[in-house]
Amino acid sequence: MVSSRPEESGDEELVTSAQRGERQAFEVLVDRYKQKAYRIAFDFTRDREEAKDLSQEAFLQAFSHLKGFDRRASFYTWFYRILVNLCLDYRRRRGRISWESLDERTEKGNGLDKIANPAPSPDQQAMGEELSRRIGAALATLPPKQRAVFLLKNHQGLSISEIATVMKAAEGTIKAHLHRAVMALRQRLTELA
Amino acid sequence: MAERHDPLRGACKDFEQDLILYYYQDCAGIERRRVESHLVSCASCRRFLEELQSLLPATVKSDEPSPAFWQSYSREIRARLVTADEKSRWWDAISFPFRPWPVPAVATALVLAVALTLTFTKGRWPFHQTPPQERELVEMASVTDNLDFFNSFDFLDSMDLLEAVEGKEMQKSETSHQPL
Repeated sequence: MVSSRPEESGDEELVTSAQRGERQAFEVLVDRYKQKAYRIAFDFTRDREEAKDLSQEAFLQAFSHLKGFDRRASFYTWFYRILVNLCLDYRRRRGRISWESLDERTEKGNGLDKIANPAPSPDQQAMGEELSRRIGAALATLPPKQRAVFLLKNHQGLSISEIATVMKAAEGTIKAHLHRAVMALRQRLTELA
Repeated sequence: MAERHDPLRGACKDFEQDLILYYYQDCAGIERRRVESHLVSCASCRRFLEELQSLLPATVKSDEPSPAFWQSYSREIRARLVTADEKSRWWDAISFPFRPWPVPAVATALVLAVALTLTFTKGRWPFHQTPPQERELVEMASVTDNLDFFNSFDFLDSMDLLEAVEGKEMQKSETSHQPL
């Protein structure tokens, strides 16, 4: 049973309760990881609505398959794997995305909110947008696995061993993917400059 | 290790991967010391590392949605979880008899029931009633088998007879060859 304040319970305890059918315990896990989940989905999609849908879908899949979670990895690693697989599937379904249009959609927002950064000058904004567009274009050209490794490392700060666990691959393979991704990005950005 | 410098890539080939891991602080112990000692003597690799330091952080596109977004997010995911939960409970109720454990349990119970029935009602159940004509045939077949059996005895008798005759002949020949 989860302690009187579920928010203070550890992941393991919450998972045990959720596996027994206590949905509220799983909702605490959702609250705990929703921002991280959203951010990684956003890294893959660069679209707010898509990122929201993908991260929510990952939570739903985790909830449905929770009884099969064998605790060999932590809940977060297991959940990350579900999310990354969904993101990779999304990339396969969508193919190469028009990053320019996605950047526009993100920057204009959906009317609900704005990016919480101090307003830059028009020049800075233009330069920032141009750089963002170039980076988006360069990232879009990476093969899905290289891109996934790069995003998990560069954007999420996961260690090589964590990425290897999430992606079910050898550490050497992950290092090779990261190396190729960084070199390809560097080359593309140099070409675009 | 040999330093093969590629002007296009900017860093020594053998150190490229380790420099990237070094940048991410994901290289420890011997590898880290190896990279650090190399950086002291190699200007190209130092430039490569500086380039990574300016390029890679710029690739991170942050998005910080407002609290309103997160409220809407939480409402939506809760509603979706309730639906999924209700669906799974309904499905659990429907699929209960087909779950992995009830199937062998029911099969075992059935086998036990049949075994107990057979044990306690032994002899009361006319399982195999042979029609009268078939019964006669079966009896005839057993008589035929018996005849074959006795025939084999006759054969053995004749063997004994032969042996007896041979024995007598042998005795005769022995007595005729005895020296006078």
